[in-house]
Amino acid sequence: MKRYLLYSAPLALLWCFVHGDVTILNFLFGLVLGPFVIKPFKPLYKFGQEVSFKDAISRIPKEIKYFVMLIIEIIKACIVVGKIVIQPKIDIKPGIIAVPIDTKTHAGITAIANTITLTPGTLTLDVSDDESVLYVHCIDASDPDGVRESIKHDLEKYILEAFE
Amino acid sequence: MSSIDIVLELLSNIVLIIGLVFVFLGMLGLLRLPDVYNRMHATTKIGTVGAFGVMLSILLKVGFSPMGVKALTVGLFLLLTAPIAAHMIGRAAHRHGVELCKESIIDEYGKSYK
Repeated sequence: MKRYLLYSAPLALLWCFVHGDVTILNFLFGLVLGPFVIKPFKPLYKFGQEVSFKDAISRIPKEIKYFVMLIIEIIKACIVVGKIVIQPKIDIKPGIIAVPIDTKTHAGITAIANTITLTPGTLTLDVSDDESVLYVHCIDASDPDGVRESIKHDLEKYILEAFE
Repeated sequence: MSSIDIVLELLSNIVLIIGLVFVFLGMLGLLRLPDVYNRMHATTKIGTVGAFGVMLSILLKVGFSPMGVKALTVGLFLLLTAPIAAHMIGRAAHRHGVELCKESIIDEYGKSYK
């Protein structure tokens, strides 16, 4: 029951946004609808683990920090790729690099893959079968170790804090 | 019309123009870059931000009315789903044997699944 309530809350908020009116009544209606969505997708949620409201709420500042970082990176990414596109002669050295990751949960891997895609010059193509390596296409792959370092230090620590 | 309305109107137009410039750059990238993977860079990053800019402009113009809130939601879903589409297209292209362009210098993915 508690789990359903906890997982319904983000869905209820989403319901409010899709409906257009953010009101208490709409939020409560969303909470009622939430379990109907969660039930068929049960394997995606962590029903095996112990959860608490305190833990979920204590993550919110870290998640906000992650989103701020994400927005800054996205704007940087646009400027980087935009510059490449408007060059008179396109001079790039693309390539695919294997990047080892420490993230273990599926939510964490999804988050890091999406974040890599939205950050400057990198695009996630695939995850290896044992979920320990991401294959990343880089628009400038002249320094593979530098790319691995920057993903590890700049992105992964925020994701580990926010999603694990 | 109060001054805050004028400022919001102006901001909305500025964001709209920025968004459209980014959409234009994204399409230019789609035409100019050499192969599938590089083109994906242009469409996911620049295209998403361009579309998000247009949505943000609607939000600034109409405020937090039902329409504005829906525009924001659409923008957030674009941010969430564009990378997944790019990921699937890139993966499928590579597994189908689409070659990387000749400027490419490294391919560590090719040997992982053959």
